[in-house]
Amino acid sequence: MRWTLRLDGATLPDRAMVGGKAWSIARMLSFGLPVPPAFVVTTEACRAYQEGAMPPGLEAEIDAGLEWLEEETRRTFGRGPSPLLLSVRSGAAISMPGMMDTVLNLGVGDAVEAALAAETGLPEFARDTHHRFLDLYRTIVLKGEDAPLPESPREQLIAAVRAVFDSWNSRRARKYRQHNGIDDAIGTAVTIQAMVFGNLDDASGTGVLFSRNPSTGERVPFGEYLARAQGEDVVSGKFTPQPLSAMQAQSPTAYEDLLRASEKLETEARDIQDIEFTVQRGKLWLLQSRSAKRAPLAAVRVAIEMTDEGLIDQTEAVARVTPEQIAEVLRPRLTADATDGLTPVATGEGACPGVASGVVVASSDEAERRGEAGEDVILVRQTTSPEDVHGMIAARAIVTAQGGATSHAAVVSRSLGRPCVVGCGDGVMALAGTVVTVDGDGTVWPGALAMEVPTIDDHPLLRRLADWARAAGDARFDRQPARQAAHG
Amino acid sequence: MMDDRTLAFHGLAIKRHADAAAVAALTGQSIDTVTQELAAAVATGRAIEARGGYTLTPLARVALQANYALHFAAPRADDAFIQAYHGFERINPDLKQIITDWQTMEVRGERRTNDHSDAAYDDKVIDRLSTLHERAEPVLTGLSRGIPRLKIYADKLEAALDKAEGGDPAWVSDIHRDSYHTVWFELHEELLRIMGREREE
Repeated sequence: MRWTLRLDGATLPDRAMVGGKAWSIARMLSFGLPVPPAFVVTTEACRAYQEGAMPPGLEAEIDAGLEWLEEETRRTFGRGPSPLLLSVRSGAAISMPGMMDTVLNLGVGDAVEAALAAETGLPEFARDTHHRFLDLYRTIVLKGEDAPLPESPREQLIAAVRAVFDSWNSRRARKYRQHNGIDDAIGTAVTIQAMVFGNLDDASGTGVLFSRNPSTGERVPFGEYLARAQGEDVVSGKFTPQPLSAMQAQSPTAYEDLLRASEKLETEARDIQDIEFTVQRGKLWLLQSRSAKRAPLAAVRVAIEMTDEGLIDQTEAVARVTPEQIAEVLRPRLTADATDGLTPVATGEGACPGVASGVVVASSDEAERRGEAGEDVILVRQTTSPEDVHGMIAARAIVTAQGGATSHAAVVSRSLGRPCVVGCGDGVMALAGTVVTVDGDGTVWPGALAMEVPTIDDHPLLRRLADWARAAGDARFDRQPARQAAHG
Repeated sequence: MMDDRTLAFHGLAIKRHADAAAVAALTGQSIDTVTQELAAAVATGRAIEARGGYTLTPLARVALQANYALHFAAPRADDAFIQAYHGFERINPDLKQIITDWQTMEVRGERRTNDHSDAAYDDKVIDRLSTLHERAEPVLTGLSRGIPRLKIYADKLEAALDKAEGGDPAWVSDIHRDSYHTVWFELHEELLRIMGREREE
């Protein structure tokens, strides 16, 4: 085979040839972890394609790859009774923006929808899968243009592969390579993977697992599971997921396998993993594992504990915590009993977190004048416009009568790092002249409430991290974190 | 066409508490012209100067606003310009959403400040900004066809996008520079004034 490669776990392929995503699949397979079967159209095919046409022989190799997937999954592509659906993903050796995103459920048409409905007993799921495919395909492959879809699933697959190759030369991808000194010739691969079904029976389901708790950083796996469901159902918020214990009760073997996989993946990656998985008829399949997003305090805790566990060293721990995360942990907050017995004078949508007290002023010029005279002012406006920016800079916090989370006031306050509550209603204008405390979670309290301002050296976790940084001559934690200047 | 004085005042109205250079960069006038006009405005009580920044006095602001209908009679009656303006308003909610997604992110169903620790997330948002810019380009062209000096906004948006795409994230929404968001909102303010409309939020 010249243009494609099957991922069978036997050998670890060259990352430059298969791209990062396929390489991580191959690596999971090499650990003996269960991953749905996949093959890759290599970066070499992409390079050949850039000469002007699909390389000769590539389509035949894709057909052979499909046959192999059919054998591995005992399902059939483009027809029933057990249809094979595919995910198609781009992936260069270096992860890169601007590339075509993933197309899921490729392989479904009217007949396949009917077959899926019969197989699962879930006609709604089959219809939904079909719709989701059409939506994704139209947005991603056809880029929202009103063009007809290729007729057969096979032609759709070939068109998706071409779309990935074309996206290699999107404006964003080209600029990114140019700015980062990445060779235009390295090309992207395309991973073609069998989809698994979490909704076939009661021993099927889907979920996410964090190798540690992403909110607290505690070294306890944290996950959510949804029985008889497809991957997107967990993310969509349409259903309330169950705790992992539900999975343990229904599919104990898959549960044990999952916890072992989580340990292994975290140890290998030396970072908290966010693992997407599906259980199909009692068997675990891993779909994706990546470093998990985490709350600021969790970032600090994990960095320290992983150092203590010997997974990373102190330098790495320090590098893993951003100044923004520190700023977040050290943000002033109301003391625990500060609002006891009080009723808010206004409530709205929290647009930027934090707390601040001051006297309410209703004009930006006045906010600037009194702010410069050293007063703590809270700017209250009906709405804000670029004309109000000087007042917003001078104010400790910002409150508006109208507008939502994407309003000008919300955007600018986040850029400035000022607590902000938007959409409080017209009554809020009457607060002018009074002293209030704004809590960016969405509440305005009467009076100046008691606050505490944590410092690095008071904070048991941050202090250790700061000491490691200082020992290495790194003052990053001792500089006043300037959120607005760094990232606006 | 606005005369130099009105144009300088108009620029100052959009960019409050700005120096002559910042106003000139917005209006496309020379710094000398703007410096002269603003100095004259201070002398006649139409503007005040504090720490190198100028601000129009309330009366001058009202007078400026009152004359917009006259100054902008042509674009307000120009179908192509009106269409471009509506095009801008159609894209505006998407821009606001993208900027919001840049500044905040969902972590387990909860909106939090984006701490920019997830490069893949940030890259995706900048991808969306690039795509939005491509959609905005014909609109921006339409606007500067009606009022040529508006081309400055298109140039500044492109420059900000370029820097953001090049890996300097401050050019997305930092309020202290001509970031994509800063320029976009100044353009929005400019268009509201040109069309004689009120901001909704």
